[in-house]
Amino acid sequence: MEKTLQMLNSLERDGIISRYAIGGAIAAIFYMEPFLTYDLDIFVAVPQSADSILDLTGVYGELRARGCRVEGEYIHIEGLPVQILPAYNTLIEEALVQAQDIVYESIPARVVRAEHLMAIMLQTGRDKDRQRLSAFSRQAGWHQEILDDILKRHNLKSRWKEWTE
Amino acid sequence: MDRMSDELTRLFAAKEARRRILAAQSFPEKIRILVRLQALAAPILRARGRQVRVWAPESSTQSPLQPSLGNQVDTE
Repeated sequence: MEKTLQMLNSLERDGIISRYAIGGAIAAIFYMEPFLTYDLDIFVAVPQSADSILDLTGVYGELRARGCRVEGEYIHIEGLPVQILPAYNTLIEEALVQAQDIVYESIPARVVRAEHLMAIMLQTGRDKDRQRLSAFSRQAGWHQEILDDILKRHNLKSRWKEWTE
Repeated sequence: MDRMSDELTRLFAAKEARRRILAAQSFPEKIRILVRLQALAAPILRARGRQVRVWAPESSTQSPLQPSLGNQVDTE
């Protein structure tokens, strides 16, 4: 994963992306016990263009130019299947802005904060998110006050209540 | 029945404790465990027709396929 993170750092340094953070299952694993996944989800913000801030054409083009291969919804960066996801709503935008800096085997990186991950699981709302949130809330370190604030601002309190009571 | 119930309670508590120990591992160690999990699960998933690719082993003093931790990890 080191080389994949180095590639993402170089994209950020070169201005191809404005910011990135590890999300999804790998971000969850940062906080809880490992569980099976084969994907690395990366949230990205791209420099704003006139067309759309969600346009990843430039990012994919640059990665291809750097030798990465696209396969379905994944792009293989240094051997890892990566799903690059633009910040597609205000919750993801906030999660990306507030993602915490980490160091992975001497490589700087960012990972979405625990409370934002929980909110994203609630918002995504699949069965596996519900199961993961249950385990995550028991194993990960998180703050109720911070989560409450996020849930309130993103209209997720009722689902939290539904899933946890 | 009560004895069975006590035993199950003890087993579930031990499983939860083990999960917390795994959760407290360093991120690189968790990724090494994940890669071992991927290798263990890949043949089963491929037999079911799902295309999966095991990540390249992370640098470690342990073999990525060392079975010792394989017994300690639950999949979801």
